[in-house]
Amino acid sequence: MTRTEKADAAPAKREPEEHKVRYHSMAALYRKEMSDHITSKRFIIILILVMVTTIASLYGMISGISDALESSSDYIFLKMYTTGGNSIPSYVSFIALIGPFIGLMLGFDAINSERNNGTLNRLVSQPIYRDSVIIGKFLAGASLVAIMVISTGVLIGTAGFLKIGILPSGEELVRVVVYLLYTIVYICFWLAMSMLFSVVCRHSATSALASIALWIFCAIFMSLLASIIANAAYPVDNQYNAMFNSLKNYNCELYLNRCSPYYLYSEAVSTILNPSVRAVNAVTMSQMVGAISSYLSLGQSLLLVWPHLTGLLALTLAVFTVSYVKFMRQEIRGN
Amino acid sequence: MMEMLQVSKKKTGVFLAAALLLWMVLMPHTVKAAGGMSMSTDYPGITMKAGDTATFSLYFTNSEETGMDVTLEAEDLPEGWSGYFKGSNSEVSSVHVAANQAREDSPALSYSLTLPGDAEEGTYQINLKADGGLGNTATLPLTVRVAERESGQGNFTAEYPEQQGASGTNFSFSTTLVNNGVDSANYSLSAKAPEGWQVTFTPSGESTQVASLPVDSGSSQGITVAVIPSEKVEKGEYTINCTAVSASETLNLELKVTITGTYGVILTTPTGNLSLSAYAKEETPVTLSIQNTGNVDLENLQLSASASTDWNVRFDESTIDVLEAGATKEITAYVQPSEDAIIGDYVTAIIIQNDQASSEADFRVSVKNHTTWGVVAVAIIVVLCIGLGAIIRKYGRR
Repeated sequence: MTRTEKADAAPAKREPEEHKVRYHSMAALYRKEMSDHITSKRFIIILILVMVTTIASLYGMISGISDALESSSDYIFLKMYTTGGNSIPSYVSFIALIGPFIGLMLGFDAINSERNNGTLNRLVSQPIYRDSVIIGKFLAGASLVAIMVISTGVLIGTAGFLKIGILPSGEELVRVVVYLLYTIVYICFWLAMSMLFSVVCRHSATSALASIALWIFCAIFMSLLASIIANAAYPVDNQYNAMFNSLKNYNCELYLNRCSPYYLYSEAVSTILNPSVRAVNAVTMSQMVGAISSYLSLGQSLLLVWPHLTGLLALTLAVFTVSYVKFMRQEIRGN
Repeated sequence: MMEMLQVSKKKTGVFLAAALLLWMVLMPHTVKAAGGMSMSTDYPGITMKAGDTATFSLYFTNSEETGMDVTLEAEDLPEGWSGYFKGSNSEVSSVHVAANQAREDSPALSYSLTLPGDAEEGTYQINLKADGGLGNTATLPLTVRVAERESGQGNFTAEYPEQQGASGTNFSFSTTLVNNGVDSANYSLSAKAPEGWQVTFTPSGESTQVASLPVDSGSSQGITVAVIPSEKVEKGEYTINCTAVSASETLNLELKVTITGTYGVILTTPTGNLSLSAYAKEETPVTLSIQNTGNVDLENLQLSASASTDWNVRFDESTIDVLEAGATKEITAYVQPSEDAIIGDYVTAIIIQNDQASSEADFRVSVKNHTTWGVVAVAIIVVLCIGLGAIIRKYGRR
């Protein structure tokens, strides 16, 4: 944000006026940030990446959907999101992997580039509240994320509808809406995380590297690390150990994996988009006695993954709160 | 030339003489007697009733040296009488008699004679004629006395008058009604059965139920008597009196039906709905409806359940001492899923049984999560938002 001429003047001391000013200054910053993003080359690159990803997964879905329908023809509309084909991953797995990248790209230099350019100094010298800056930046990023996720999600749904010609049921629609909202929260977590790095790190290159490193760690190395730790804590290398430890080993690995937002998100999404998933934890044989295959209702599916939904939302809010506090306590004029 | 003619005349005379001699030598010896072939039967005199059919076996003997084909014919048949010659299952008109045939070698041949129903009493003579040609003829007179028609009592009988079956069985008796009277008669049919039973009469080979039917004089009519016991028939022996009444006679037929005991029990719910929702580690009541569908009281019925591991099913009354025939009893079962049951559907079977009968109902138990956890989730999110708001309030006024 280089120019702040739109910021309202005349800071009033009375309470209603104060709210009004806060709202106005934040709205102005939000609008400016949005226009900056949309006109930037970086955003064009992200958009192209997202569109290519979506079209690729659409192609994979169209080539693979008939095979998926042969096994079961229930919840066809949901299958359009979870079906891949011709070694192209499904839309859901693409978004789980690429989605964080969108958030990182939108947020990694939010604060430190302003500071390095010297514009932050000028910004806070305007008659606006300092927190409007970070809230406006976050909301602008979140809005762009929402626009991208919803437009690609609707694209997949409508293209699939044209291909298959089956109207989604109400429950399927609600499941897709919940999935898209949860995806927005997931990407916003990465947006908040990259903004935290941009507050903490002085150089935008550092914050970019740090956030990308965290992303790769969560997406790839967390599962390896979890399996190494689980095997060290509960070895299953011989038959005797396997008999005693396999359940503990599995649970240990599972809980460690859930520390990664990537895993948390994938687990929740597979439950939301697949009504036949009945459990997210390890299931013993005794629990399966007498169980008959059936579909869960939407409410039960959501109750199954409510810790995932709440946890990721809480994590997002927490990361944003930390970056907010950090930013508010930073000495800006000292630069 | 003359010499030649004389010679030829002489030769002709010699030839003719030789031919005559040869004919005389070769000519067979023919006998003109009429009795070379004869026809006989075992019982040429017979007494019959009007409408009857009699069969006369015929034997041929032949003392001739040659065989012959004998044409057969019946003469002097009174008006309305009919008869035919029968050989090896078909009607024949001639028979071959071999040379020097003895009685034992006679081909199997018979004469079938049928009297009309209205043949009048008296003695009649009919002649069977056999003509073998060349004067070989034989005549066999048959004397038929038509006796007076007897007027007897008709009868009404069943093939298997006593039958047995469980309740719910429909019985079917094949009966025969015979009219031995002189005239054809119309029999009206009725039955006396226990209260609530249905008895119907259907002529054999037809589908129409009849209340009366005509039977010709001297003939019989098959009747199927269908007996449908009442719905709630009890074990025991029952008698059905069937009567066929004509103008001149009353025929009775007693049919017996033995109803054996049946045992049956059905386990279901009052609404027929066999699915319920339950929560882990919590008892969910379900009302069972137990009905005795048999015709015998059931004693000592035991309720039990077959559920998944660590599941608990208890009943407010796990034994029914006596359940009367046709009675229904409601019992509440409490289904408690195990603590670690995963959400989704399980099948739990509830069984009721005693020594005679059993019934099983498979319940679809949907294990659910309490919605309170959803409320907790929303509460956590609300608390977080309040916390964020508080932080913004605290730091936001710089």
